Amino acid sequence: MHVFPAQTINPSSRSKRGIFAGNGSRLTAKRVLASLGMTGLAAATALVVASSAAWAQTKIDFFFPVPVEGKLAREMTRLVKQFNDSQKDVEVTAVYTGSYDDTKLKAQAAAKAGKPPAVVLMSANFNVDLKIAGDIVSLEPMLAAEGTTREKFLADFWPALHANATVDGELYGVPFQNSTPLLYYNKEHFKQAGLDPDKPPRTWAEFVDAAIKLTKRDGEKVERYGFMMPGTYDYLGWLMSALSMSNGGRYFNEDYGGEVYYDTPSMLGAARLVEDMIHKHKVMPAGVVEAGGVSTSFFAGKASMVMLSTGSLSFIRDNMKAPYNVAFVPRNVRNAVPIGGASLVMFKGQTEDSRRAGWKFVRWLSSPEILGGWSRFTGYFAPRRSAYELAEMKTFIGQHPDAKVALDQLAYAQPWFATYQTVAVRKALEDEIQAVMNGKKKAEQAVKDAQRKADELLRPYVDQTALKLP
Amino acid sequence: MTVDAIITADVLDVASKPTVRPRRRQARTWRLALSLLLPSLLCLAAFTYLPVVRVVIDALYATPHGGSGTRFVGLENFARVLADSAFRTAAWNNLLYAVGTIFPSVTLALAFALALWRSTRFNAVVRTVLFFPSLVPLVAAASLFFFIFLPGVGLLDYYLGKLGLEGFNWIGDSDVALWSIVGLTVWKNAGYYMIFYIAGLQNVPRDQIEAATVDGANAVQRLWYVILPALWPTTAFVVTIALIQVLTAVDHVVVLTKGGPSNATNLLLFYIFQEAHENFDAGKAAAATALSVAALLAVSLGCLRAMDSGARHEA
Repeated sequence: MHVFPAQTINPSSRSKRGIFAGNGSRLTAKRVLASLGMTGLAAATALVVASSAAWAQTKIDFFFPVPVEGKLAREMTRLVKQFNDSQKDVEVTAVYTGSYDDTKLKAQAAAKAGKPPAVVLMSANFNVDLKIAGDIVSLEPMLAAEGTTREKFLADFWPALHANATVDGELYGVPFQNSTPLLYYNKEHFKQAGLDPDKPPRTWAEFVDAAIKLTKRDGEKVERYGFMMPGTYDYLGWLMSALSMSNGGRYFNEDYGGEVYYDTPSMLGAARLVEDMIHKHKVMPAGVVEAGGVSTSFFAGKASMVMLSTGSLSFIRDNMKAPYNVAFVPRNVRNAVPIGGASLVMFKGQTEDSRRAGWKFVRWLSSPEILGGWSRFTGYFAPRRSAYELAEMKTFIGQHPDAKVALDQLAYAQPWFATYQTVAVRKALEDEIQAVMNGKKKAEQAVKDAQRKADELLRPYVDQTALKLP
Repeated sequence: MTVDAIITADVLDVASKPTVRPRRRQARTWRLALSLLLPSLLCLAAFTYLPVVRVVIDALYATPHGGSGTRFVGLENFARVLADSAFRTAAWNNLLYAVGTIFPSVTLALAFALALWRSTRFNAVVRTVLFFPSLVPLVAAASLFFFIFLPGVGLLDYYLGKLGLEGFNWIGDSDVALWSIVGLTVWKNAGYYMIFYIAGLQNVPRDQIEAATVDGANAVQRLWYVILPALWPTTAFVVTIALIQVLTAVDHVVVLTKGGPSNATNLLLFYIFQEAHENFDAGKAAAATALSVAALLAVSLGCLRAMDSGARHEA
């Protein structure tokens, strides 16, 4: 939250807000200080107290989630400190707010309580809902103030990120950390199974074939699964969109928040792939496994191939003992993966000063140098193409071939699922796919039921928009 | 209770000073009682009754996500909640969860208490061990059980594997997940309820037990005819707090399953959370809250009344 120290210390400063606002305030304060500094130390000391208040460093809050581990929170705190030390106008307080979902919740709660955070690092697919709810502000005025346009501003960002950054044709989020699903595989297991560890499966046919060969059985008992993927809420929806996109599908309408494509051949094929791998080929465990369970199984050699986020690259690199490699998500019709990750958004209810301060911080945080450093530290890819032109980044990519694969896959990236009531509409599909994973439903029925439920959820919005006729 | 005590005291007081007229006396009593109750009443009003009233009012209004403004809708939110299959699933799960946790945890608590109620050094150690799970916050316990429940590589599967039992997906199988949550809750709460039973057992009249023993009652008969009836108020109290717990503590669901798979572990409180914060439907969340609070009130009142009648019966 922004605090005007002038207001809190000097009761008469209300009228001075106009004079001492923004950059002008600093100059005025400095000039006053300089002229009075000559009149004597005592007087100057007395004034430092008063004028440092009037000179009003703008204080803002920055909420950020860390979906992976604690060391990322420390790195973010370090970055914020670096920003605070680099200039004097703005002081940012970094507030660690838990998971993506918790961050959304806490930011909205703070806004309801009248203390909206100026800047939030928000899961990029919440932007549509937050805009509909009226919680976040359009960034177009800030672009206009800089004399630039959305097109020019976004030109440096990877094309796949543009859709999630804009809502209804206006810029609402600045991409900060991004990811795509990625196939991780154990090279030793590949050798044991007679597969070439340098030729990961590229198509669904090769993928299923590899999974069958990689699965190790002792009678009925499976000792090692050929493939595992997280099946919990949020992750499952993302991976199902990867599979349906690889099957030629779109999952949702990128341009209109009222449509999803669940009861379609592309999604049915994806659901059947999962169903077959579990119940027909038995190369994937039944039921739902959480992401932590999937990575643990991969580390323990109990799963040969896993589908996880590129955001886990550093985590896997640090913990995997056996040699591994990464590959594109296999395709049936085309190579395609959804984007994931977070972008910087600004909350409504800010004063002019804290909005300016927030934007200044957003600009700093989304500079190529910072984005590159964060990318090397975390494993997320940097949303700006120019970040990869930096020397440190070229060296890093040279040293880490797995990061190179993740980067190459970006050429096939698609926008991330975002609609009216994103979470509920996503859950409509996830509940049904989980039923398939548990053998409670056939894929055909599951996608039909998912579509029915999603349409029900979307109806209020559709009635207000596409079906609202003159 | 306080009022009772004051009135009793006052009556005794009056007996020694018969000059004060009854009506004034009564007024004074109530003034005193009220002024003594005021601080806690204010807190209760501000933090309990007002929010309850507020929730009921909110439940009558709808603020459509992305729509224009709030409007009065009467009982529509309640109708929508009752028609929502996710709510019915959550209510049914909550019922299973209540029966599944309360019966075993209270029975276990009683068994532990009966085994450990004598104060010996050994018993003190065992009591501490059994009480330990209730010292662990539910969130921490759930994070711990995440590793215990991991399919294939978790602690539980590791030991079951040694016995030749394998292939359970404790929180990922929709038939098993709720019972894993139940198991965790029983582990967590039994030791806590044991403490109440140990305290209750100290008050069971020793002479009655001895009399029953002399009359030739065996252990089971002594338990059934003497100890259990004497423990009735404790049981009613323990069941009441256990019931409140099954509706108000869902941290483990949040940590372990988020209500999944396919809503198999969704409980009422988590459903309310989802409606309010994931689905932007404050009206529906308020209606579901009002329904849950009403159910909780009815059940608690029933239990407290049973406790009262039990206590009176005892007296």
